[in-house]
Amino acid sequence: MHVAAILRLVPDTREELEVDASGRDIDREWVGMRLSEFDDQALEEAVLLKERSGAKVTAIALAGEGVDRLLQTAVARGVDEVVRVVHDIADSRDTARQVEALAGALHRIGADVVLTGVMTPEDILGQLAGTLAGRLGWPVFNAVTSVAAEGDGLRLRQEYSGGRAAIFDVSGPVVIGVQSASQAPRYVAGSKLRQAAGTPIGQEEIPTRAPAAAAAITGLSLVEAGGQAVSLEGDATTIAGKIIAILSEKGLIGA
Amino acid sequence: MPDRAILLACVTLLAFAIAGWRFAQVFRPVFRGGPAARFDQPRRRLKGVLGDIGLHRRLFRYRWSGILHAFMMSGFLVLLTVTLESFVRPFFPGFSLDAIGGSTGLALVQEIFAGFILIALSMAIWQRLVWKPKRFRTSSAKDAWIIYALVGTIVASLVLEAACHQILQGGVSPWRPVSGTLARILTALGMGQSGAAVVEPAAYWLHVAAILSFLVYIPGSKHRHIFTAAFNIYFRPLDRAQELPKTDPDAASVGVVTIEDFSWKHKLDLVSCTECGRCEAACPANAAGLPLSPKLIVTGLRDHMIAEEKAACEHTPIVGNVIPEETLFACTTCRACMDACPVWIEPMSKIIELRRTAVEEGSVEPMLQTALKNFQNSGNSQGKPARQRPRWAKGLDFAIKDAREEPVDILWFVGDHASYDPRVQEITRKVAKLLHEAGVDFGILHDGETNAGNDVRRIGEEGMFQDLAQANVEAINGCTFNRILTTDPHSLNALKNDYRQFGTDYTVVHYTELLVELVGSGALTLEVPEDGAAVTYHDPCYLGRYNGVFDAPRDLIRMAGYEVHEMARNRENSFCCGAGGGRIWMDDSAMTERPSESRIKEALSIGNVTAFVVACPKDLIMYSAAVQALGVGDRIRVTDIADLLIPRAA
Repeated sequence: MHVAAILRLVPDTREELEVDASGRDIDREWVGMRLSEFDDQALEEAVLLKERSGAKVTAIALAGEGVDRLLQTAVARGVDEVVRVVHDIADSRDTARQVEALAGALHRIGADVVLTGVMTPEDILGQLAGTLAGRLGWPVFNAVTSVAAEGDGLRLRQEYSGGRAAIFDVSGPVVIGVQSASQAPRYVAGSKLRQAAGTPIGQEEIPTRAPAAAAAITGLSLVEAGGQAVSLEGDATTIAGKIIAILSEKGLIGA
Repeated sequence: MPDRAILLACVTLLAFAIAGWRFAQVFRPVFRGGPAARFDQPRRRLKGVLGDIGLHRRLFRYRWSGILHAFMMSGFLVLLTVTLESFVRPFFPGFSLDAIGGSTGLALVQEIFAGFILIALSMAIWQRLVWKPKRFRTSSAKDAWIIYALVGTIVASLVLEAACHQILQGGVSPWRPVSGTLARILTALGMGQSGAAVVEPAAYWLHVAAILSFLVYIPGSKHRHIFTAAFNIYFRPLDRAQELPKTDPDAASVGVVTIEDFSWKHKLDLVSCTECGRCEAACPANAAGLPLSPKLIVTGLRDHMIAEEKAACEHTPIVGNVIPEETLFACTTCRACMDACPVWIEPMSKIIELRRTAVEEGSVEPMLQTALKNFQNSGNSQGKPARQRPRWAKGLDFAIKDAREEPVDILWFVGDHASYDPRVQEITRKVAKLLHEAGVDFGILHDGETNAGNDVRRIGEEGMFQDLAQANVEAINGCTFNRILTTDPHSLNALKNDYRQFGTDYTVVHYTELLVELVGSGALTLEVPEDGAAVTYHDPCYLGRYNGVFDAPRDLIRMAGYEVHEMARNRENSFCCGAGGGRIWMDDSAMTERPSESRIKEALSIGNVTAFVVACPKDLIMYSAAVQALGVGDRIRVTDIADLLIPRAA
């Protein structure tokens, strides 16, 4: 089994984001980039799969600033190989072209299981996993919370609301959108990062074509305060009094 | 050779052989230990031994225990002369110490010190049976009682033998008040010379048997410290670098995995522990109900080391098997255990060595992991962008120099909490205003500063510490300045001590030290309230215990017109707030009482103080939260020293 973990650097949404002059993107000049939270889970699940069943794991990322360090961190976490995909995609939200580049690289390295995060702040609908599966002609399972080797295939777990879960046994190539790993992503010590700093990074160059038709963002703005929220001001006692008043007014507690 | 000599030679050789074999089992792993550079400054080392053994400097911090130990130790040193006589005389019948007063002055001294031992023994038994200090609860009581029995037998048999000897001589010696009194009692009870002739050799052999039993028993007992304490004190760490030496983070293995990875000095520590429990009594994590006792760390490792040596088995990893991770990460690295130990054992350094292994294996609790990832991603604990670091200075009506761009007298290393934490930023601005008011030529590194790495290092993240430190050293070395100023004592410790391993020799001062200087020189004049209230001051561990700055903060408080009322635990004996060693980023829900809350209660017990004064950003955060949690905000307020200072308008 050759598992590929797709890793994406995304804007750090914990920072104060600003809309750029074009009004169609955030100002990326100062924003910090970090590994997508769900891709972090996918990476952990891939390494766990390696540790538990001996799978080979390759971490793949589209080339860009900070990607080499990201891939070296993946080495420190236990992946076998890392591949940087050199591409000609200008917009990091262009899923169609990203999928084209990634699919080309996946073919070249011969991966048969793809793990990626269920979504990112730039892949907000989680379209990457599904689009990539479509391109590869493989089945896709999204929002997966556990991946384990079972016989010749994999056993996947999807959790639903209300405490329900579905278990799938899958054989053959598959794309999996990981929501959470079986255990929290491990911590990688600075010494291991330093040791991994010199790891050679494989490179695949995949040219892509612009899709014939694509949706375009026409405007981006920060969330504005609507009229439905009430901000309670004052000290703790005043605020508590106001909460009681609102709850009694709505009949939720006795007057 | 007379029969007595042959028998004595046989039993002595047998006892030495058994003791030697037992000692070898204990000391073999010590001699196999890894390197430790503890051979420098022999005169200073020897002076320490004389102070801590000869003068009982640390032992007397617990007066009762100190006095009983002084009696016991001095008594046995004097009684060595008796032992010498006991073992030599059978081989050389004419041997006597009479030439040096063996029947007169020396005899009197021997008698007095035998009395001291009996007093010490009574004090020890009283302490163990009546007072029952909490610090003894997890120590081996069986071991203590066996030693009491042997000590009692050694002294009692010696006195009895001397008493019988006097009866046989036909008169009580005026130089032997203790055994002489016993001789009178025995005579009064009807013992004649014939009886004494039977009892004297019996007492002699009992004495010899007790001494040799002591020798055989000691290698497996905590009283091994009789032989190891002096060496352990001699090889103590003389500075912070020896306490936590530089490691190679690129080495195949960082930290201590098995007992074999510990240095010989750490192993000597293990076999020197007296189980007195002073470290445990001083430990804030232990007081908070966390599963950490520095004593049990040491005794646990000791027992594990000796058991593996006896079994000659494979060495097992310590973390998770001998010591659980939650025990290691409970430590606040306050150094109280290191300062409390009478034989200078270093539990905290061992904890950090073991933490390094846990971190290396990725065994880090979730909250701490988040903080460490913040360091990896942003270079600070808060996970904030570097460019936001100087944002605290917004709103000042003067610009702060960028020390990377122009020379400054004082390079201010502001620190993470002082820079980013909204709860502390006001104090940072206050310090800046005071410096500006005093006309200090100062600048900061702006976004060129990263966390100093002090706590990262003590968490056990040595690789990250090296990264953070190297980035700071590079930034600092690119500036022209005379001294470095820090707000945070943790940063001060890193810059002053830890960074020396990178070849630096910075002059680093805490802001309280600089402000005392400025007020003293008249550069800064203060408005002094006429009715300055009584306040108490908390010594931050990394300012006081680590770096010896105790007076400057107190002087500054007095200069500001306030009266300092000390808490019971002050200066070297200060009690940690619970934030150090990375604890500020860890879950504290398992604590029965947070150290910071215990400390606020201690301040309230003084009775008349209105403010709890701190000199560390972490303390401001910890104690403000503690006051809030205890709901005592109307009785005491937590304030930084800088906030007490009101510059007089020019």
